[in-house]
Amino acid sequence: MADKSNRPQLIVDGKRLDGRDLNQLRPLKIEASVLKNADGSAYLEWGNNKVLAAVYGPKEAMPKHVQDPVKAIIKCKYSMAPFSSMGEHSRSGPNRRAIEISKVTREAFESVTMLHDYPASEIDIFIEILQSDGGTRAAGITAAAVAMASAGIHMKDLIYAVSFGKVGEDLILDLNMIEDNYSDCDMPTAVSPRNNDLVLVQMDGSLTREQLHKGLQMVLDAGKTISQVQKEALQRVYEGRENGNGV
Amino acid sequence: MEGFDIVKVSYVKELLLKNVREDGRKLMEFRQIKLATNIIDHAEGSAQIDLGATRVLAAVKLQVEEPMEDTPTQGNLMVSSELLPLAHADFEPGPPSPLSIELSRVVDRGIRAAETIDLSGLFIEEGKAWTAFIDLYVLNYNGNLFDASMMAAMAALASAKIPKYENGEGVYTERNEPLKINRLAASTTFAKVDKTILLDPNMHEENAASARVTIANDGTVVRAMQKGLGGSFSPKEIENLVDVSLSKYDELKKVIEQAAGK
Amino acid sequence: MPRQLVIPGEMIASEPVRLDNTYVENGKTFAKVLGFYESEKRQVIPLEGIWQPRIGDIVVGIVVNSRNAVYEIDLSHFTRSILIGSKFDREAYKPGDVIEAEVKDIEDRRTLILWRPRVLFGGTILEVKPTKVPRIIGKANTMIEQISKFTKCNISVGNNGIIWLKGANVPLATEAIRKIESEAHLSGLTEKIKQMLEEQTQTTSK
Repeated sequence: MADKSNRPQLIVDGKRLDGRDLNQLRPLKIEASVLKNADGSAYLEWGNNKVLAAVYGPKEAMPKHVQDPVKAIIKCKYSMAPFSSMGEHSRSGPNRRAIEISKVTREAFESVTMLHDYPASEIDIFIEILQSDGGTRAAGITAAAVAMASAGIHMKDLIYAVSFGKVGEDLILDLNMIEDNYSDCDMPTAVSPRNNDLVLVQMDGSLTREQLHKGLQMVLDAGKTISQVQKEALQRVYEGRENGNGV
Repeated sequence: MEGFDIVKVSYVKELLLKNVREDGRKLMEFRQIKLATNIIDHAEGSAQIDLGATRVLAAVKLQVEEPMEDTPTQGNLMVSSELLPLAHADFEPGPPSPLSIELSRVVDRGIRAAETIDLSGLFIEEGKAWTAFIDLYVLNYNGNLFDASMMAAMAALASAKIPKYENGEGVYTERNEPLKINRLAASTTFAKVDKTILLDPNMHEENAASARVTIANDGTVVRAMQKGLGGSFSPKEIENLVDVSLSKYDELKKVIEQAAGK
Repeated sequence: MPRQLVIPGEMIASEPVRLDNTYVENGKTFAKVLGFYESEKRQVIPLEGIWQPRIGDIVVGIVVNSRNAVYEIDLSHFTRSILIGSKFDREAYKPGDVIEAEVKDIEDRRTLILWRPRVLFGGTILEVKPTKVPRIIGKANTMIEQISKFTKCNISVGNNGIIWLKGANVPLATEAIRKIESEAHLSGLTEKIKQMLEEQTQTTSK
């Protein structure tokens, strides 16, 4: 978080710097099955974020000693392109932040993937942030969920993620980069929508119990829209379906 | 190589005995090229190419740095490439592979040798010059990364804009002045399968190849070359391929210029 | 037949039902895979995913190991399959041979026993999505026979998504198969493919 003494005024008359209402999502677009080689993939644009996610597998887990004879393991790699941020070129290769995000993302997917359907195998999830503007881990998870579905992986649910935060006493949804830098709190959250279980929770800053409750409610409300965009992305790939499948 | 790949390699070789390619192309024909620029708004220039099923994203970032000691009045160029694990099942996460390093160095040499960008033009003032970082992101792999990357890099450079310079640093919200391009280079890569030589090998053809050569030219002279793999070419073969390479220049230059809106 | 696209986690029934590609939680039935739900037949047909072997499936694979007339065949999709040869024919197959065979038994999810083998000489291999194989074969083999006829190719389609092709116009056969793979969800496909094959073979013969 940046020095708050020179914080720009993030909210004016109930509107945010980019003109959004406090509980408004940035525009979200997802396209499924965009890469030829991957078993499943998705491209996502969320505000100024641009994210590519791909899934390979299930395939034989390698090296052999990592194999679990009764279930699949998930490997996940989140990385940010060195050209992804407005401003200077960054170093490529995983840093501590990327390694942590990869881990919590993997765990979010472990909670809904039917790992026992794929003994001794591995499922690889790759998330590439091509352009970043705050909320990239949420964008990565939302894209990867579509990639997982388009790979035909057995899952209990199609998860989504979004963050909420706090500026002064105002709660805001789906923080962009500048809001993320100067907010009093940021809470990326991933949700399994069939029962609203939280499969990823991270938070830093300060929140009262009531603010937490209200923030999560904002997440769940926005989740309906996000889930819909995810489903429509998959529908478009298979659209034109007609009666009679000829099989 | 896996069993299934061996079958495909023998098939590619069997067809080439009759000068027929797996996808029906002529020996000296490129796959379909789709090239688009301004893919990444946060980069100063960017382009994405689809060369058949090979997809590469190239992005240019410009950053104020201190000039190198031995060239105090010049900017700098840094080319890196990532064979992303999402591009092919055999690409592993980890440090850059030798192929990835070769790829970035070949593209780097092509740009430098053709003097595509004028490095002295990147000098700002004493102790300050622009470094141009070019990142090549391989998103889907189906052979011939060299030509795909070179074309994407050229289009990214040709569409790049320099940030405003103020108080020793770049103002990235103000990018108006186009990066000056002196000369575009075009790259052509050939593979030798048994005795047959072909242009723009796809993945199966690369797997079948004994030798590969990349020739970059500027329409008049050869600017960079790189031979790869364990086999060899005769001097006569290389000379003939230079002719083919030069003859492809106009076509490739047009694709790059159109994509960059020039 | 009314059918609907379902995604993982979508509720299929508000009571527990035992269906392939679904799961039951708190007394309700949910899809566990991206697929089409056909309410009349009460089935969820997956649209993507790895091959789920069944006894009687025809497979195309490659011999990777042979020892004392016991052959290990790579079928991709991380299955190990074993073909037991005849005692009288000890080295019938060698590593690298492409084999078509039938699944005789399933030991576990990853180990299959094959029988009724046949060697496929020469030609090439195409990998397709196993979920699209029924469409590529077509009702009573109509689709694949038509491709075979127009392209003058021998084609062997494995349920494991491996297709072997050999003959006069492999590029056209490949193109037709790829088209079916990408448009498998559309109806009237047999006619569409026929039209494409007719056009392409006419232009090349001129």
